[in-house]
Amino acid sequence: MKALADSKANKYFLAAVLLIAVLIPQVITSPSIMQILILTLFYAYLTSSWNLVGGFAGVLPLGHSAFIGIGAYTSTILYLHYGLSPWFGMLAGGVLAAVIGVIIGIPTLKLRGAYFALATMAFGEGLRVLVENVDTIGPLKVNGPRGLLINLTGNSFIDYQFTSKASYYYIILALLLIILLITWLLMRSKIGYYLSAGGEDPEAAAALGINVPRYKVMAMAISCFFTALAGTFYAQMFLYFYPKSILGLDMSFEIAFIALIGGRGTILGPVLGALLLRPLNEFTRIYLGGILPGMHLVIFGLILILVMIFQPRGIQEPLTRLYRRILYRIKGS
Amino acid sequence: MSGTALLYTDWLDEMEIIFESLLNGLLMGSIYGLTAVGLTLIFGVLKVINFAHGSILMVGMYAAYWCITLTGMNPYLAIPIVVPLMFYFGYFMQQFVIEPVFKVEKDVREPITVIIVTTGVWYILDNLALMIFGAKYRVVHTSVTGKLFELPGDIYLLQPKVYGFILTFISGLLLFWFLKTTLMGKAIRATSLDRDAASLMGVNQYKIYRTAFGIGTAVTGLAGCVLVPFYSVYPSVGIIFDIRAFIIVVLGGLGSIPGAILGGIIVGIIESVGAMYMPSTWTELVIYGLFLLLLFIKPTGLFGSKHDF
Repeated sequence: MKALADSKANKYFLAAVLLIAVLIPQVITSPSIMQILILTLFYAYLTSSWNLVGGFAGVLPLGHSAFIGIGAYTSTILYLHYGLSPWFGMLAGGVLAAVIGVIIGIPTLKLRGAYFALATMAFGEGLRVLVENVDTIGPLKVNGPRGLLINLTGNSFIDYQFTSKASYYYIILALLLIILLITWLLMRSKIGYYLSAGGEDPEAAAALGINVPRYKVMAMAISCFFTALAGTFYAQMFLYFYPKSILGLDMSFEIAFIALIGGRGTILGPVLGALLLRPLNEFTRIYLGGILPGMHLVIFGLILILVMIFQPRGIQEPLTRLYRRILYRIKGS
Repeated sequence: MSGTALLYTDWLDEMEIIFESLLNGLLMGSIYGLTAVGLTLIFGVLKVINFAHGSILMVGMYAAYWCITLTGMNPYLAIPIVVPLMFYFGYFMQQFVIEPVFKVEKDVREPITVIIVTTGVWYILDNLALMIFGAKYRVVHTSVTGKLFELPGDIYLLQPKVYGFILTFISGLLLFWFLKTTLMGKAIRATSLDRDAASLMGVNQYKIYRTAFGIGTAVTGLAGCVLVPFYSVYPSVGIIFDIRAFIIVVLGGLGSIPGAILGGIIVGIIESVGAMYMPSTWTELVIYGLFLLLLFIKPTGLFGSKHDF
């Protein structure tokens, strides 16, 4: 009975959050604040995609920026050379990323976690070095370290270009809701249970006849697919990108660590992590970066260590507790 | 007649160049190996990839740099100062930063949270160095910097690299002897094989972790001392060696010390010989490709034990 009331309250709460999220662009007009909000949601989306494999499969992927890059380059090259709509390119990039994720996952997800972490990291760095050193692949222009520029067409849905920030905001919000829905469905599906069984105790799960690596590879494929979609989004929003901006270690690590601080393996943990850490990161960089370069990363490192020592399951745990307590207060009165 | 003679001398010249770059690759590779020994040792015992490894190397390099610059001493005299300092640096880092997390997750054989804590340490150390010392590239001029050994056949070798090569092998042998014969060494090996069984035999596993971590950072400090006479020091210098060390360690087999040195030499030779045929960024790519290929085909590496993967 109590659980039922709780779930009802949860529904109201979620509906309220969603309503606020939808209404924000109508209230806020400042483009710079909108930009920060879009990037925050962008990161929330990335960490949630990462969470599918990093959270549920119990491994540590450290090369997810590679898949962002695959998405961005695929859709942009298809658009620039063949005039294909980036919406189509987005899906093509997603499929390509999923295939590559499976190729990397099949041999390495059978091994201990350290190997998978190092393999994904080496793949991410290797791809960055490759792209930086290649000007053309066959007839296709990659432009090496200079990156790719998408020509401005103005407001055009088919070209995935919009003059208002709000459009991008709604696109990334929709993507985020989709990934959260998929996470939710996955958690309640057979795959989700198999994965969590494999994460808890791989030997016991294998003894019960669960082919744990196979489900990990599946999770990897889904995660890579959605990560690549974010790459296209990034390319279309900025209309310019270069290898260092989307490929490489920094991005991969940031995604992984925001998800981990938020709470991996939960639906809302990575989102909470992004909502709290991204703005914090922006502001410390803006206000401290000038005086003390690197201070914002010292703070980030400290948060990382403190959260891991005191809240190894991430900050979603105390926040959920707080939410419950407030809920009880309201009901009690 | 003279044409063939010319061709022959051409061929001889080319052989000499190849031989020289092979030797240089061997020397530099052994130093890469030395930078990776600490990482492999720590992994072998704690089963944790230490992402702060490159930063520890950076700390060692700065320590050696300041020792040499402030006193003007022979660069290799800094070793007896830097290495013990680095031992305690690692010992206390394990005790106060990593151990608390380790204890929370002690039932997990390969705790991810510990990896994350080491990354936090990486961010903090690198950026503290940036705040304190600035982004400047620092070069130290010592009595061996830029000096060459001349071998017959016009082959030149950089002196600090030769000394680094010698020190790598001395320290590798010492470490091997320590792990094989001393009681502490045996306890470390026992813990790395089976920490629960070792605990039951009366080994204090946390003390072993601290000691192993200390030895790992001490060896890395030594690598820093070896690098400083010919390599510039800057806050993010660790990252370059970090990724390379990860690759080397997997190549040699996670946890194997001879494997790390041999893996380092392989990477060094690929870099130096490859650099004759392609731009250096491409050799980097070859190494990444080789690494991924190895993971797919033989993840135990050259000397890795079966139960560690």
